[in-house]
Amino acid sequence: MQSWISLPLNGWAFLLGLPITSSLTWGPGRWGLCCVPHRYLAKISSAGSISEEETCEKLKGLIQRQVQMCKRNLEVMDSVRRGAQLAIEECQFQFRNRRWNCSTLESLPVFGKVVTQGTREAAFVYAISSAGVAFAVTRACSSGELEKCGCDHTVHGVSPQGFQWSGCSDNIAYGVAFSQSFVDVRERSKGASSSRALMNLHNNEAGRKAILNHMRVECKCHGVSGSCEVKTCWKAMPPFRKVGNVLKEKFDGATEVEQRKIGSTKVLVPKNSQFKPHTDEDLVYLDSSPDFCDHDLKNGVLGTNGRHCNKTSKAIDGCELMCCGRGFHTDEVEVVERCSCKFHWCCFVKCKQCHRVVEMHTCR
Amino acid sequence: MAGAIIENMSTKKLCIVGGILLIFQVIAFLVGGLIAPDPTAAVPYMAAKCIDLQKNHHKTKWFIPWGPNQCDKLRYLDEAVNRQIEANDIVFAIHIPLPKNEMSPWFQFILCILHMDIAFKTNNQIKENAKVSLDVSLGYRDDTVSEWTEMAHAVETRKLNCTFGAPKTVEHEGKFYDCDFLPFMEIGTVAHKYYLLNIRLPVNEKAGVNVGIGEIKDIRLVGIHQNGGFTKVWFAMKTFLTPSIFIIMIWYWKRITQMTRPPVLLEKIIFALGISMTFINIPVEWFSIGFDWTWMLLFGDIRQGIFYAMLLSFWIIFCGEHMMDQNERNHFSSYWKQVGPIAIGSFCLFAFDMCERGVQLKNPFYSIWATDIGTELAMAFIIVAGICLCLYFLFLCFMVFQVFRNISCKQSSLPAMSKVRRLHYEGLIFRFRFLMLITLACAAMTVIFFIFSQVTEGHWKWGDFTFHWNSAFFTGIYGMWNLYVFALMFLYAPSHKNYGDDQSNGDLGVNTGEEFQLTTTITHVDGPTQVYKLARKEAHE
Repeated sequence: MQSWISLPLNGWAFLLGLPITSSLTWGPGRWGLCCVPHRYLAKISSAGSISEEETCEKLKGLIQRQVQMCKRNLEVMDSVRRGAQLAIEECQFQFRNRRWNCSTLESLPVFGKVVTQGTREAAFVYAISSAGVAFAVTRACSSGELEKCGCDHTVHGVSPQGFQWSGCSDNIAYGVAFSQSFVDVRERSKGASSSRALMNLHNNEAGRKAILNHMRVECKCHGVSGSCEVKTCWKAMPPFRKVGNVLKEKFDGATEVEQRKIGSTKVLVPKNSQFKPHTDEDLVYLDSSPDFCDHDLKNGVLGTNGRHCNKTSKAIDGCELMCCGRGFHTDEVEVVERCSCKFHWCCFVKCKQCHRVVEMHTCR
Repeated sequence: MAGAIIENMSTKKLCIVGGILLIFQVIAFLVGGLIAPDPTAAVPYMAAKCIDLQKNHHKTKWFIPWGPNQCDKLRYLDEAVNRQIEANDIVFAIHIPLPKNEMSPWFQFILCILHMDIAFKTNNQIKENAKVSLDVSLGYRDDTVSEWTEMAHAVETRKLNCTFGAPKTVEHEGKFYDCDFLPFMEIGTVAHKYYLLNIRLPVNEKAGVNVGIGEIKDIRLVGIHQNGGFTKVWFAMKTFLTPSIFIIMIWYWKRITQMTRPPVLLEKIIFALGISMTFINIPVEWFSIGFDWTWMLLFGDIRQGIFYAMLLSFWIIFCGEHMMDQNERNHFSSYWKQVGPIAIGSFCLFAFDMCERGVQLKNPFYSIWATDIGTELAMAFIIVAGICLCLYFLFLCFMVFQVFRNISCKQSSLPAMSKVRRLHYEGLIFRFRFLMLITLACAAMTVIFFIFSQVTEGHWKWGDFTFHWNSAFFTGIYGMWNLYVFALMFLYAPSHKNYGDDQSNGDLGVNTGEEFQLTTTITHVDGPTQVYKLARKEAHE
């Protein structure tokens, strides 16, 4: 069995609910890293794209303002969806060895009913999702899939003369701006006064900051005889794995906050006043997380029963911690592995099959 | 005739001239900072992974990443395994520019670099000294409907220089290698509106082509071009500067030919400096807007090289001719030791440039750095040029030191002179030092601005109003050296003042003789021998 906390991804249901629903109906224990991408991606590629305005209406989980945005930015919606998939994949990678492993379930209400918790895990999911959207939109810009992007001077008003006079602004600016307007609108429409909305907005922004603050500056010299007399620099997006790593670190050091009224505005401040105040990049949460040990559907926790664990590890993926002291089964399983493979840079793998007997530990 | 204008000008007038030049300098700087956009723009592209379904791999077929007639694409290369697509069936397609934009001749050049996203896999790692072989074709068209025309096609190899920032264990699978970007393409004119790049990475196991290069996830490309706005401002500046320098050059030469004696070396070198400055200034780039002249980039390099060589030679000769010792120079050949390194250095850089940009005229994908021999050759050229430059600066510093030592020697004998002569001398030394100082200031400014523009972010913003440091650096420095040459030609032109006085007035004759020692050969009337006789007499006294 997989353990899960109800993802606070209410607004993201549509991304998972529509054409790709089937791809997310994995049974327990199929999150093993080896096999995810192929099945997953193969299904997505064959799924239809969001190309008509009516599709926007059918998307589940969108609020009215998001439906309007969807209609106005149809070409971007595929990237939004891809961004969400990227986020979930990355989340599952980062949490593969933890009690809570970022799993999603097929039936939609699980996202909807128990989203009131403002836990660390929720903070991470919000951050990685908004980062994923910004990332995917920026990438789509560079591939030429979107027409607006950095050259659409009506959006940012960079330079009225346009591409021929001064080039385009960075695509990342567009990606981040789109993520801001599309993802944040959920919280803003609720009125940004509730502590939960403030937390979500903060974490959304922290996710985007994880990309923005880790842009790599690359330069090329091309002056006389290739000297650095003329040098052009640009910013390259970090790989999404890097964004995931950054956010995972922020997750480990997340700050517990509470809402306080300062003047007329409500702000989040650390619960423990001795702690350093959090920065824009840090994740914040309101409620402490459950231990994710036992099956408790009411709170949206499936428990670690049935999860694989590592017998020799003392960390969270070790059987001691993972199984919450309940002990574990050990089975001898024969696995078929690919070995002595020959690879090409793409799409060609020729392997022998090797059989190996391994010990598999499963939590009770 | 009593010498150059700088000697006969009053301090007040000198200040006025300096002030006017400073105003022009500030204007040149502001034009770049406020009007022009950044000098260059970098546009990131992500290659589309097109599938070449025809098994015979027609080379003539073009794959377009987006828009009408776009190719059948893979979103992720992982999909290919299930669909039984092989590496040889995949074509990376990049359309320059991005949708809704058009390239323009104002961009002057396009320079592309390639970036590979290679994921780490424990059993499919990048081998040491891995090389990637790219089969590239470049096509163009001028409207959105017509067929693509091939511009260039080449098979190029590039070294993969990658590091992995984490332990190579199973946990880090999927993380990308940190790879240096690969120099990819350079075209010297942008005569067409749309360009299309098709890149294949053919695998040939027997020949070991594209084997052991890891698992490529994506190919990214960065296209760099000069901004149209900057080009326009730059052309405007050149068009304005050409006549200004040209006119002062004519005026300067007229003054020299009006004299009874033949021009001396310093006068000739200043004139040559003026010619090379005009050569740079002449805005032949205007033709690149109408004609498809790919050699413009190379030509620009050569013009700049000539000017730099001239400027460096001028400094040496300027110092040498103000040495105030008893050696006779006034001949280019007496400076062979100092000018030699300049000539060798310039030749090396010219050879390097011909090997890189010269070959690129034929094959835009060529890079001298791609092969080991090429890299060694290029490094050899650059190192020799570097050594020459160091040697040159040692010579120059030594000469400047000598000049200042001689000046201080002369200064110590100043108190013994009469008041009028002393004041006159002090003025001369001041003006000479002033010019030395200006040269140093110009050089220092260039270096400081260069470092500043490298360190600082491209532009600063105050509200609605943006200041582009990079552009300001280019226009400011370019304007500065123009003004420098202008000032040289103006201040070192022979003066008309006191013309005939020195012949009629016997007392002044001696006075002029002493003046000669400061500016030696420039000012002499009776030929160098007379001056040196006088100088020696003075020295004995």
